[in-house]
Amino acid sequence: MKETRKLKKTNLPEGETDGKRVGKQIQRKKKVQVSNVELNEQSQDTQQANSSEKPKRKKVELKKKIQKSKEINSSPVDGKLNGKMKKRKEKVGNVDISEPNLEAISTKIVKGKKGKMSKTKKKRKAEEISSAKVEADHLKGERKSKKSNKKRKMDMTSTKENKIEEEEDVYQISSGDEDCTWGMKKWVTDYYEGRPGLDELQKRIDDFMTAHDERLEQEKQDKEAKAAEGGWTVVVHHKGRKKTTETESGTAVGSFSQAALEDKISKKKQSEPVAHGFYRFQRREAQLNEILSLQSKFEQDKKRIQQLRAARRFKPF
Amino acid sequence: MEADTKTDSRTLKVNDLLKDVRLDYDSLSKLVGDAVSSIKEAIDGIPEDFKVTSELAPNFVKDIGADKVDFSFKKPNGFSLCGSYSICGMAKPDTCVDLLVHLPKECFYEKDYMNHRYHAKRCLYLCVIEKHLLSSSSIEKVVWSTLQNEARKPVLVVFPAKKVDQFPGFSIRIIPSATSLFSVAKLSMSRNNVRSVTADGVPEPTPTYNSSILEDMFLEENSELLKKTFSEWKELGDALILLKIWARQRSSIYVHDCLNGFLISVILSYLATHAKINKALNALDIFRVTLDFIATSKLWERGLYLPPQSEIRVSKEEKMQFRELFPVVICDSSTFVNLAFRMTSVGFQELQDEASLMLKCMEKLRDGGFEEIFMTKIDYPVKYDHCIRLQLKGKTAVSMSGFCLDKECWRLYEQKVHSLLLEGLGDRAKSIRVVWRNTNQDWHVESGLSVLDREPLFIGISVSSTEKAYRTVDIGPDAENKIEALRFRKFWGEKSDLRRFKDGRIAESTVWETQQWTKHLIMKQIVEYILKRHLSLSSDDIVQLVDQLDFSLDYGGKDPISLSGNLLQAYEVLSKCLREIEGIPLKVSSVQPLDSALRFTSVFPPEPHPVACEKIDSRRLQKLLPSCIPAMEVMIQLEGSGNWPMDDLAVEKTKSAFLLKIAESLQNVKGIPCTATEDNVDVFMGGYAFRLRILHERGLSLVKREIGVDPVKHVSSTDKMLFIRSQHASMINGLQGRFPIYAPVARLAKRWVSAHLFSGCLAEEAIELLVAHVFLTPLPLGVPCSRINGFLRFLRLLADYDWMFYPLIVDINNDFGRNDEKEINDNFMSSRKGYEEDRQNISSAMFLAAPYDKASEAWTATSPNLLEQKRLVAYARSSANVLSKLVLQEHNDSVRWECLFRTPLHNYDAVILLHRDKLPYPRRLLFPSELNQGKHVARGKASRLFNPFMPPGDLKRSHEELKNKLMVDFEPTKCLLSGLQEEFGTLKPWYDHIGGDAIGLTWNKHNSKKRERDEEEEESNPMEMLKAVGEMGKGLVRDIYLLKPPRFV
Repeated sequence: MKETRKLKKTNLPEGETDGKRVGKQIQRKKKVQVSNVELNEQSQDTQQANSSEKPKRKKVELKKKIQKSKEINSSPVDGKLNGKMKKRKEKVGNVDISEPNLEAISTKIVKGKKGKMSKTKKKRKAEEISSAKVEADHLKGERKSKKSNKKRKMDMTSTKENKIEEEEDVYQISSGDEDCTWGMKKWVTDYYEGRPGLDELQKRIDDFMTAHDERLEQEKQDKEAKAAEGGWTVVVHHKGRKKTTETESGTAVGSFSQAALEDKISKKKQSEPVAHGFYRFQRREAQLNEILSLQSKFEQDKKRIQQLRAARRFKPF
Repeated sequence: MEADTKTDSRTLKVNDLLKDVRLDYDSLSKLVGDAVSSIKEAIDGIPEDFKVTSELAPNFVKDIGADKVDFSFKKPNGFSLCGSYSICGMAKPDTCVDLLVHLPKECFYEKDYMNHRYHAKRCLYLCVIEKHLLSSSSIEKVVWSTLQNEARKPVLVVFPAKKVDQFPGFSIRIIPSATSLFSVAKLSMSRNNVRSVTADGVPEPTPTYNSSILEDMFLEENSELLKKTFSEWKELGDALILLKIWARQRSSIYVHDCLNGFLISVILSYLATHAKINKALNALDIFRVTLDFIATSKLWERGLYLPPQSEIRVSKEEKMQFRELFPVVICDSSTFVNLAFRMTSVGFQELQDEASLMLKCMEKLRDGGFEEIFMTKIDYPVKYDHCIRLQLKGKTAVSMSGFCLDKECWRLYEQKVHSLLLEGLGDRAKSIRVVWRNTNQDWHVESGLSVLDREPLFIGISVSSTEKAYRTVDIGPDAENKIEALRFRKFWGEKSDLRRFKDGRIAESTVWETQQWTKHLIMKQIVEYILKRHLSLSSDDIVQLVDQLDFSLDYGGKDPISLSGNLLQAYEVLSKCLREIEGIPLKVSSVQPLDSALRFTSVFPPEPHPVACEKIDSRRLQKLLPSCIPAMEVMIQLEGSGNWPMDDLAVEKTKSAFLLKIAESLQNVKGIPCTATEDNVDVFMGGYAFRLRILHERGLSLVKREIGVDPVKHVSSTDKMLFIRSQHASMINGLQGRFPIYAPVARLAKRWVSAHLFSGCLAEEAIELLVAHVFLTPLPLGVPCSRINGFLRFLRLLADYDWMFYPLIVDINNDFGRNDEKEINDNFMSSRKGYEEDRQNISSAMFLAAPYDKASEAWTATSPNLLEQKRLVAYARSSANVLSKLVLQEHNDSVRWECLFRTPLHNYDAVILLHRDKLPYPRRLLFPSELNQGKHVARGKASRLFNPFMPPGDLKRSHEELKNKLMVDFEPTKCLLSGLQEEFGTLKPWYDHIGGDAIGLTWNKHNSKKRERDEEEEESNPMEMLKAVGEMGKGLVRDIYLLKPPRFV
């Protein structure tokens, strides 16, 4: 609901009378119409610095009009909508007011360009329609896409008319070339600042390493001091010959070469078949394991088929 | 044991499949009864002795060339139901019941078997029936069709007015039968019955024509026999259904010159009567036995002979004659008709290949290949590497000597095209299939046969191997062999060329010159040349599906892969330099490539930049120079040492220190320029920028040893990732060496994924694995040998794979054993554990297991998540459908092909458009994005600080300055995205990391509880938020549109 409301916001003719527009858009859902009405006022709101009382009354009137003239049955949703909308409108209105000056300028510029714009629009439309193919498939069904194309066409005609209003509340972003807290300028500056030269970087690392070493040393001393305080020495338990291998503290060996490791693994693999299944209990265990795993697999399959059945995946057409 | 469960789960599935596909004959029989009686009623209303003349269908009679066709109408001798309905072998969605109408003898003269008179009268008889059916109120419509695509034998398809939802599209096919209309002896295979079929004035036998009449004469009898075999043998009927499903999924064998439902049932009944199958077998076993029989039996060479009903035996001479005249013989029990007379040798070859492939599937694949055999659609685009469509509409050359002789002109044309291509392509093609479907839905016999060329003729070619297909020189016969040489010259015309080869041979040859990176176009060139030369077609008539996707890989007018040679050279030099470096504490022991450009799978491998060299050549600085250069990662390993620090941070710093030392040394000793940040060191070499990474071996050995053993042991994730990436790089590199088409397909796939803004969901490496799977596990097809085919299969894999219930195992070097598979499956099951409780709660929505990563941790552990995956699948499905349609149907304008890569922008909640001229590599942009929907929230000005090309003024600066100016791996889009991720958690960006100018945004779903609290706040949020986003991307962001505000469900 809200979507459509928002969407339509851009498509409103400014100069047209309400009745005319209502006629035009009557095919669409009622909700959209409601929002149209609301939006039209909103544009006035923005000019009049937003008073919430007046538009509300108007809206109610208008809605009655629509319902009478075109016999659209209302639903309870409308009532709810009213309340919500009021709130929303106020907010949006406020937002718009916060950037009034920029807009005024931009409108003029856009007016001048209008002719050109509509041309490019047409081109775009052509592209859009062709790309609608992909989209159509997403929507499942060609018919649908045709409809949406039509709809879009309708939208387009109205957008052309409404260009000016649309531009009015477009927020303008500066190029940011003066300000280096955000945007392109920041990224470019960051890039160059990140490359101060090899020597500088070397220095930074050296500094870090000394600091790091100091910190480690400090920690060690602290620990020792703490231990000494109570007259105790903390004994750490090491399992097996951990020290000779490369673990947490094992600096003695350093690193394995990859080749040696692979060699080791392959040796291990070779010796396996002899040991494996040598004793009867091993074989029996293996067999049992296999049966168990197969059983579980079978169960899984069964379960899966149930799921498939639910999803009706057995239709080869 | 294993085999048992395999079959068990398969049997379960097959039973379910059968249940779904079988029709309910109780309710169907009533429907059929009603329809048949209303047809009978309508036919009864036809006045006896109604004079029938050719006026009813003058064009048809003229086109088949019949004379003296007038007769007076008599009621049919009777009706009988035949076909799959009568043997309970119908399979959904087919709901067409065959009804035989026995033609009365009184309407025909004794000699009507001559010169298509029978065919003409048969058609006129149907015309009369049609007229009266149309006037019946219980019949909705009557449509013309043909029997097995044989245009001279039309049939009527009647749609009753009464509809039953259970059987959508229910119809009755009226087939005339001609039991004992003519003398069988007159129609023996050696006789000529069409006078115009002559060779140099001597009449030639017309076996196909004769068979066409004989077939009608024994329709009834054969159908009765089938009924007898199939009744009281339920399994046989089920097997028939299975075979039908299998064949129907394969458009290349379920066509007029190969298999059809009737032939399948005939083959089954042959097997049954010859005790090749017995009643102890279940349907699936019969299915397998039948496939095995089709694929391997020696009996095909001899011909299949159903046991004769009467005492007549087929004599040896007759058998010989059948063998000589037809490639496949299935002689019916009357001993006069070869039921397989339409089958061609190519069609049969295809059938045998398919059948043996299926046997392989049943043996090797999960669940006995159930999915692949019954559920996977194998249409032309996915089956053939090289597809061609010939538009022959209105080409009179096709029917120059008449539409129907012994064979029909379209079949003759098929043959002609096939033999031309066979000769022209030689061993480049493994198989060539030419199929021309003639009838379309709105055909009416009144319009005659000339309109039957509307559908394009389809040619599908399976390439034998890429090496052969890419061969540039074809050597023909020796010059000495005069006759052969003359023939060769005649075939090739001006293309043939007498050449002297290295081995001293002088021979005729053809040379197809082309660039290294356009070798995939050689076959296209050849095909076009031959068809133009011999069939006098124009280029517009020949649509070849080969290079239509290449536009997406185009960079400034050519495929950038052409520069990869330089790139590899530069890399080699670099790795040599690195290994030679002296004066650092630990020497460099190995150098390995990580970047995809170094394994040919990068969509846009970088082009050499004149500034990124040891010595800048000022002459090359003239043209427009990009101001950015991508960095390619290279991994180095150092000698082992025990002096490495223990904690991660320190290790990383030490690595940086090493890298700086290396850079210094390169710069000072070898004069190779380098640039560095705190984390990266980039080396300029031969026009490229390489980024160095160090793999710390201690981390590596820990990875190998399974971390789980001791939780205290901790593997630094940087090292683990580096190790995985290096493994991946080397495996993929090996793979692209094995399959030359792999790299282009992977590039297309990557382009597609990013063009649809999925760069954030699917890692490039994951795409490479997916494409690898297409090549490594091609069953039920062969290995793809063309770009379009490979790409389509990638899309179908993405779209059709059952990601929820199965892991995708990519066994690159074929080294997974059973234990590995079990391990993978266990990992997979644990990733799906949460599924039972909550459908969203799964990790690895796409579980990709590779040799170096059996738990799918490397690329797809967190992304795509379930939602992203669903979106990806939906996009892939629609793209695959569009692509298959493009291959099969008539459109060939580039716009429609572009649709595959043009993503619809209105599928997002908000869209950010970027300034195109602020993208670092503007030429990578596929399509400029525009939007004319939604609310235009903000518009931004372009920054003047950054330009993708160096301003000409800068080029005059010193080389040192230029080098500093050149930005390595600078990507504003990436900067914006990382900013977005940090600041706006509720926005999910969808982007194209290759070089798109649009970023889609969707709102992340909120907690419903939270919503109530924050409702007020969030309602006003979206606009504000998008404006803030715009501020963050100042100078880069062009426009922001809001399409849908956040939804609260």
